[in-house]
Amino acid sequence: MRIDFHTHPLLVREMWTKYPELEDVARNVFFIRNRSQPLETFFLELDVAGLDKAVLLPIDARTSRGTTIFSNEQIAELCRCSSRFVGFASVDPHAPNALEILVYAVKELGLRGLKLSPPTQEFYPNDAKLMYPIYKEAEALGIPVVFHTGISWEPKARLKYSLPLLLEDVAADFPGLKIVLAHFGWPWVLDAVALALKYPNVYLDTACLYFGNPKEFIAFVMTKQIPLSVIEKSLRHQVVFGSDYPRVEIKNMARAVREVGLSEETLELIFSINPLKVLGEV
Amino acid sequence: MKIVLKRLAVQTRKDKELVDITDVVSEVVRESGVKEGVVLVVTMHTSSGIIVTEGLPCLERDVLNHLGRLAPPDADYYHNRFLDIDGRLGFNADAHLKSILGGIYAIFPIHEGQIIKGSRQRIYFAEYDGPLEREYCIQVMGV
Repeated sequence: MRIDFHTHPLLVREMWTKYPELEDVARNVFFIRNRSQPLETFFLELDVAGLDKAVLLPIDARTSRGTTIFSNEQIAELCRCSSRFVGFASVDPHAPNALEILVYAVKELGLRGLKLSPPTQEFYPNDAKLMYPIYKEAEALGIPVVFHTGISWEPKARLKYSLPLLLEDVAADFPGLKIVLAHFGWPWVLDAVALALKYPNVYLDTACLYFGNPKEFIAFVMTKQIPLSVIEKSLRHQVVFGSDYPRVEIKNMARAVREVGLSEETLELIFSINPLKVLGEV
Repeated sequence: MKIVLKRLAVQTRKDKELVDITDVVSEVVRESGVKEGVVLVVTMHTSSGIIVTEGLPCLERDVLNHLGRLAPPDADYYHNRFLDIDGRLGFNADAHLKSILGGIYAIFPIHEGQIIKGSRQRIYFAEYDGPLEREYCIQVMGV
């Protein structure tokens, strides 16, 4: 079972047809301009990349952006279409009923994790008063939390919210909570790696591409910004594969990670065992 | 003079592949009712193409392999940068170059209601950056 832990169903045409506002969300909030594609293209992308499943990530940004970037219900709807999708929830941290929404998403909609994007939702992840009740509930529900960390392409997003080190308090104060730092924290890769080295409940996803092409960027991050041996020897159990589809095609990111020079055993961990572990399946 | 335009979709299933659309083109010509004229087939994308070659799987592979040698995916392209028009990086320069090298259209004469082409010539939609749902046009012009 090989899993892409970081995808957004932003360009699925069937969803645009049913919910026309999603096109505007894709174009003007998430800031992706490619044309829509039928759902079949998503599955073919997985096939070509040699993967079985994809984690679908929404963002509830109703306070900061006036909209959801896919609602929990829309994610659940997609998951009902195919067992190849693993749906995550999102909650607006500023919403007074955030905890109720989270519990409903997990217990009633069957969603399997929580996605938060501090630069999009405009909050500091170490804001204990605002966020700790949400983390406590996620820990109690036994679900992982994926945080956007590092640069964001969204024009309104501010990087001050996405520094990986903002997650240290969370990792320390919630040792039972599985925390995924998305995008390898780029450009603060050393900070993200430091957290993963120190805290066994911190994971990194590979969904980072900000210049060049996937192959040379992944090689830059994993062999120049840090030595590849850090992943191979110390973090092989804490890295999950993510593509950031549709910003990056799954096939291209998968090839980049497979060809960076990691051992077959570590690749199996990154593509299969670690994602299943974060999801609580092994 | 009759001019018929058809916009058609094709779902490609691989990263790179040739999809034989000869029968589709023939059917559009037949439906158009044009007896004497020309048919034009053109792709609507800059990372795909229209190619004419012999309908053999070995040749299909050779065509794609040769274009791959001329425009390898991992070469040092200026296109590998953030494109604000797309909200993502453009790292498919090889696909754009293959589209230029292989061409984006094909034209055949029509005589007595039939496409006039060699018995071994097949018309392909060429995918260089799939899988994607793609669009191409067939225009039939004549009398």
